[in-house]
Amino acid sequence: MKAAVNQKLTEMGERDRLKELLRAKLTECGWKDQMKAHCKEVIKQKGLEHVTVEDLVVEITPKGRALVPDSVKKELLHRIRAFLAQHTK
Amino acid sequence: MKMEEVSMSSLDNSKLEALAQDILSDLVEDACLGLCFEVHRAVKQGYFFLDDTDQESMRDFEIVDQPGLDVFGQVYNQWKNKECVCPNCSRSIAASRFAPHLEKCLGMGRNSSRIANRRIVTGNNNNKSESDQEDNDDVNDNDWSYGAEKKAKKRKSDKVLSLQSSCIN
Repeated sequence: MKAAVNQKLTEMGERDRLKELLRAKLTECGWKDQMKAHCKEVIKQKGLEHVTVEDLVVEITPKGRALVPDSVKKELLHRIRAFLAQHTK
Repeated sequence: MKMEEVSMSSLDNSKLEALAQDILSDLVEDACLGLCFEVHRAVKQGYFFLDDTDQESMRDFEIVDQPGLDVFGQVYNQWKNKECVCPNCSRSIAASRFAPHLEKCLGMGRNSSRIANRRIVTGNNNNKSESDQEDNDDVNDNDWSYGAEKKAKKRKSDKVLSLQSSCIN
């Protein structure tokens, strides 16, 4: 069922819209700047020449998930639930 | 198809909620990864640290947040209470009223000619005919442009009306 819903989400363009919405909200609320600052520290640690995508992913993703503000989460969930309500009955 | 619909409608809310959370989780992860790639590219292309300058310059140009100053630290209502002397009538005028006063005083600007014309017209009723002539000239000079526009507009609307009536006939 999850696969079907995901497929519908993508096909109807809703997934892309949600992605854009999330990105905009995260930039607006300063999350992106926060994370960039954290990236700077990681890079200074690992060295500018040697940092890899993996390094960043490992350092950034957990912190990134934790730092998403509740209001942003709520808004996204609201839209997702609305989509599910419309398209799974 | 029907079976699927039935099973979907009998899903309890908690499953839907879990699904929603999953989707949110995917989206957030996507955003994080996107950021990682963006940063990594910036690092490797050499533009990641471009907006950092040394501490001292950062402090020099920091945004000023004091009352009575703008963000650059300049005083912005310095000219509020100053007075200027008009070169034409030698009166002392407040700075913020100076420009409009000069307009009227020198007889330039949009409204000053209209006011002057009005005064002339009302003055005409009281003056002799000779002075009327002179003033009339001035009046005509200014009205020339207006008059031309009015005439042009009038002619144009006449043309349209005549065209319309000819078409109908």
